[in-house]
Amino acid sequence: MNGTRTNTDTGPLLLRVLFRPKETFEDLSRAEPSPYRIFFKYLVWFALLPPMFAYIGGSRYGWDLGAANPLILAEIQLRIVSMLYFFVLLTAFVSTAFASQWMSETYGARKSLGVHMAMVTILAVPMTVGSVVHLYPHVFINLLVFIPVLIWAMYLLYVGLPVALNIEPEKGMLMASSLVGWLLVGFVTLLGVTVALWTEGLGPSIGA
Amino acid sequence: MSENQQIIANEYYHDGVVRFLVVCSMLWAVLGMGAGVYVAAELIWPEIDFGQFWLSFGRLRPLHTNAIIFGFGVSALMATAFYSVQRTCHVPLPTLRLAWVTAMLWQICVLSGGLSLLAGMNSGKEYAELEWPFDIAIAIVWISFGVVFFSTIACRRIKPIYISNWFYGGLIIVIAMLHVVNSLVMPATLLKSYPVYAGAQDAIVQWWYGHNAVGFLLTGGFLGMLYYFLPKLADRPIWSYKLSVVAFWSFTYAYIWAGPHHLHYNSIPDWVQNLGMVMSLILLAPSWATMINGIMTVSSASEKLRTDPALKFIVLSLAFYGLATFEGPMMAIKSVNAVSHFTDWTIGHVHSGALGWNALIVFGTFYYLVPRLVDAKLYSVRLANIHFWLALAGTMLYVLSMWGAGVSQGLLWLSLDEFGEPSFSFKDIMASMPPYYMLRLLGGFTFFLGTLLMIFNLVMTMKGRPTVRVRPPKITATGEAQ
Repeated sequence: MNGTRTNTDTGPLLLRVLFRPKETFEDLSRAEPSPYRIFFKYLVWFALLPPMFAYIGGSRYGWDLGAANPLILAEIQLRIVSMLYFFVLLTAFVSTAFASQWMSETYGARKSLGVHMAMVTILAVPMTVGSVVHLYPHVFINLLVFIPVLIWAMYLLYVGLPVALNIEPEKGMLMASSLVGWLLVGFVTLLGVTVALWTEGLGPSIGA
Repeated sequence: MSENQQIIANEYYHDGVVRFLVVCSMLWAVLGMGAGVYVAAELIWPEIDFGQFWLSFGRLRPLHTNAIIFGFGVSALMATAFYSVQRTCHVPLPTLRLAWVTAMLWQICVLSGGLSLLAGMNSGKEYAELEWPFDIAIAIVWISFGVVFFSTIACRRIKPIYISNWFYGGLIIVIAMLHVVNSLVMPATLLKSYPVYAGAQDAIVQWWYGHNAVGFLLTGGFLGMLYYFLPKLADRPIWSYKLSVVAFWSFTYAYIWAGPHHLHYNSIPDWVQNLGMVMSLILLAPSWATMINGIMTVSSASEKLRTDPALKFIVLSLAFYGLATFEGPMMAIKSVNAVSHFTDWTIGHVHSGALGWNALIVFGTFYYLVPRLVDAKLYSVRLANIHFWLALAGTMLYVLSMWGAGVSQGLLWLSLDEFGEPSFSFKDIMASMPPYYMLRLLGGFTFFLGTLLMIFNLVMTMKGRPTVRVRPPKITATGEAQ
């Protein structure tokens, strides 16, 4: 699929989303980007940064879960966990784009996968920026940073979705809420699957 | 004018009792949520019990849960059941006096029961803490609730029994059964008793009760509310009526088995634990059937969101209903439960249901109901919108902080050193929790603040206005309502 070159492709996306989010969504509403282009130009790199920060933080300081000593994982375990983090993020981004495209039928929104992929990419920006906090791997500090990050991402979703997908704000609110539901369930599934695998012995050893 | 039409011309729906119950529910919300915020603060600063037994965590916590579930929740359920059963049966409550007696006695039961908890009388069973004299009183009042409800159904002027009534009816019947069976005790004194069941059997009966109180009261009863008020707010019929009926029966069948998941890795037979786990997983299907039905009903009525703040609350409550009913079955899986059980993850899960689902759907319903009860516009739509964001922020802060705290606790408790001993002491792990508890306190307080705004808004809407008198619709010769 060949994408039409528009404003969306120019300038560092990260900065545009940070400082001019509404315009970024307006540009997207006029664009027909190629999903492959969005994926390889932005999404892969956005998914790479958080695991990279987590790897550096985890190997230098160890994860602090609140107990006396931080949790230092063996090098090989840390590498595996970081790589899994990368693949999980990538799966989450792509599956959310497909879920959004699937929902667009119900809400009468634009259907091209590239638009949905681009929207997910924009929503991923706060998380990518916020993941710098992984360099200081303390669970509570990370939680504190990720709460405003989540609020910011949700704000972008609710404000941007109706603009990018050319639907009325009310329908946009419903579709955005459905996507929030999808993401919450996805997060809880991940939490559950991770914990279950760990209990079954398929995770890193965290003994002192 | 036929005899039937003449009767209808002289009668009105009885909404005075509905209004009374709505006001009581709001009062219990203040007390219950206030107590919740206070006990959340006590977990950070234990000294704020000021050495008073009645202010201690052990006594205030059951007051918090009882005031919320039985005060705020059941009063709202009674109010909405009385309101909707009249309208779906096209007939006023035939036993008005009994309805008033039920409504008032229920408040007395919860109030006196709450005071007995503060005085230290406690059966030790979670969500069934009240001692045997209160249990008997509750059973009597509950049966009278059933008489009022089912007598209205019996006198109905239209043949089909609308789906919301099936859920309310299920609530009344199953809660009566659970309450009576779980409360069978041998009284030792007037205010102390011992269960007739021994050891593990008592635990199984208790969690059969406990989980189904969540199932048939906090889920089933509130689904009754959803099935009546959501189509009303959206101004169109439920997306799939067939799906709602299938969801009701599969929900009723599956829920009753799920209780043993509260007793994983305890001294009950392994097969009972596995059965509880499997039935909990099956439960996801009827729960999500209702969620999908609700979302699809609303998705074709998006223009209503522009004008009606009530619908926003109900849409959000559906999202949290979806989350909580997904998270619950997942936490019932034994290998997940090994980490989550006894941690704050469970508290977070309960509150994603209690705040995100139960409270939000009650708020949405009250924003719809109160202006219609007094035939007035809502005092302030702006305040209702602020309330919406406070409720969302409060719930998210609560749930996120408890996820962080709970998963950390579970992982640290289970980590062992090279000698097979716990790597970290329980005391040290708990000593590191206050930051999460501060965040939870902030979330709870934000949510409470929003509730106070709603109460102010609704009181100002009702102030000085009598309850409006509404007639049942006339029935034509073919049985259709006009």
